[in-house]
Amino acid sequence: MIRPSWLSRTLLLALVVGAACKGGDEGKPAASNTFRIGVVTSLTGSQAAFGQAHKNGYSVALAEINAKGGVHGKQIELVYYDDQSKPDQAVQGVAKLVDQDHVPLILGGFSSENTRAMIPAVTAKKVPLIMPTATADNVMETGSTWVYRICGGSSSYAGATVGFLKETGAKTIAIVYENTNFGQANAKAMKELAAGAGMSVIDEEAYQANSPDYKALLQRVKSNNPDVVYFASYLIDATTLMRQSAQVGLNPKYVTSAGTGFAAPEFPTEKQAGKYAEYTYSVSQWMATSKYPGSKEFDAAFTKLSGAHPAYHGMEAYATLVVAADAINRAKTEDSAAISEAIRATKLTTPFGPIEFDAKGQNPHQILITQVQGGQYKVVWPGDQAEAKPVPTPAWDDRH
Amino acid sequence: MVVQIWSALQAVLNGLLTGALYAIVGMGMALIFGVMRIVNFAHGAFMMLGMYATYVLFEKLHVNPYFGFLAAAAILFVLGYATYEGLLRRIADRSDFMQILLTLGISLIITDGVQLIFGADYHQISIPLLDINVKLGPHISLNAPWLLSFAITVVLATGMFLFVMKSRLGRALRAIAQNRYAASLMGIDVMRVQALSFGLGLAAVGAAGGLLLPVFYLYPTAGDQFTLKAFVIVVLGGMGSVGGAAIAGLVLGVIENLTSLYWGNEWALVVDFIVFLLVLSLRPSGLFGSQRV
Repeated sequence: MIRPSWLSRTLLLALVVGAACKGGDEGKPAASNTFRIGVVTSLTGSQAAFGQAHKNGYSVALAEINAKGGVHGKQIELVYYDDQSKPDQAVQGVAKLVDQDHVPLILGGFSSENTRAMIPAVTAKKVPLIMPTATADNVMETGSTWVYRICGGSSSYAGATVGFLKETGAKTIAIVYENTNFGQANAKAMKELAAGAGMSVIDEEAYQANSPDYKALLQRVKSNNPDVVYFASYLIDATTLMRQSAQVGLNPKYVTSAGTGFAAPEFPTEKQAGKYAEYTYSVSQWMATSKYPGSKEFDAAFTKLSGAHPAYHGMEAYATLVVAADAINRAKTEDSAAISEAIRATKLTTPFGPIEFDAKGQNPHQILITQVQGGQYKVVWPGDQAEAKPVPTPAWDDRH
Repeated sequence: MVVQIWSALQAVLNGLLTGALYAIVGMGMALIFGVMRIVNFAHGAFMMLGMYATYVLFEKLHVNPYFGFLAAAAILFVLGYATYEGLLRRIADRSDFMQILLTLGISLIITDGVQLIFGADYHQISIPLLDINVKLGPHISLNAPWLLSFAITVVLATGMFLFVMKSRLGRALRAIAQNRYAASLMGIDVMRVQALSFGLGLAAVGAAGGLLLPVFYLYPTAGDQFTLKAFVIVVLGGMGSVGGAAIAGLVLGVIENLTSLYWGNEWALVVDFIVFLLVLSLRPSGLFGSQRV
């Protein structure tokens, strides 16, 4: 038998002692001079642009709320977990935030795919989850009593788009969607609502969001010659789809979309689609020109923080934290169940719009339609909120 | 009907443009497999390094990616040579399984290393060339960056093929592929030639990465899908045949585009691997026979 040397024994001892010390720290509750709220979002990975918008939106709300005295007389501290744009990491984030950081509620995630994955975890741990941006309708259909959503979902996206298209006389529609929860849910909702409004869905195309080449897909759409294309895409794929639409000469009368990539502030800039973004339509949850008080102030604070104007994703994060702080104050305790009940009883007017939750936890929220005109998102529908008239999308060859 | 023929033709042309990049990725893999019998699981990771090299040159020094790809190829050649000398050489005589594990490990280290340095964010570059579409008649239009990368790849692939077939070192490569013991008895420095061919294989994939950068986006796992495609190409082209891999790359590009056009984009990858399985089980020597390298 080989006897372990003194060196290896010392090392082993150091390891054991080290592990014991680490274990000791983890069990301790958080220091009690702040109130910790957990946030899961995508700070890196394919959806980092949106995760950063979340973070900036939360930061604006955090500064505002803490300046007014925070909650329960304590300052709020946000504990972020970066899910790297991956659903399994989002689930791990819930476990880490609840078990190690002992947060009584969680806000997030960014994408529908990741948020949907978090729901069984928060339900099992009995911690309320307020969802800022997950639009797939199935995040509200799990039967969980711990989830609340402040944004409109995929059916309201499709509903607003169809409402707008009805006024244009468009008859045929092609749906092009990224093949995860967000895209699938929005395609499904559009399919149902378009048929109900007398438009025929003549083409449906699912795609993998990491492909370099969508030209054949777009050619397929082109050969069906639809009046309208409805895209459900994230940012990078939205850019590639529009660049390649020009390459294959896909010319529908209306290029519409389920927001997200097509509504990101970067989308009409030179770094992304630039001039290829011009004339595209998008749904929007909120615009800085919104009639609800506080929108201009949020726009100013967000722009100061991030150097760019916010899209609705930043506002949704802001409103989510405002709702959370309001509920925590009314609950008067750090107990998750009491906070959850307080969230359910929310009745607030935020810059995002009025917020209250129905029995399922959904906030009914009005959706706008915007169009990129001169590199800016302009509200074109509904009529009473429109800043500009909708322009049919001109053919690529007619642009210059 | 006429419109349908045009759109099929468009898809075939686009397929050839994409396929040329696949071809050069596959040729690198075939060269390495042919000479060393190493299945390089790190192939896509090295390609991603080529993309990042070109990206950094573009962002920091404003080097056009169509020059930057040469630098990427050179960097990867050196890296490949060093990787062989430092790591692969040590296990040259051990089991294939060890080589697979080693290249897989290298791939993980590269991917996570890049993620540590650059983060997991997606990057995209914008160059004026992207806005130019070359029209061939009323129905066919080809995007300029893809055309340019096609032209460059044809030159590179031809050069690589001629090098392997005609040059003295190329002959040594093929000799090793046929029988490395006999080759070493004939006075060929097997280790050195293998190091050179690993470098060369990586230079090819690095160049492909650089050429892909303007039309793709960049993230630490961007290369992974190309490792899989390279497997398909090497099998399709006849295990280790460099010329076969070139043609197989083009064939794969066309198959993918036609699948996307007629069945839908989500089927393209499925069909890739159906082809892979069919060739492996029905024609294991590849579509073009079994000559090595």
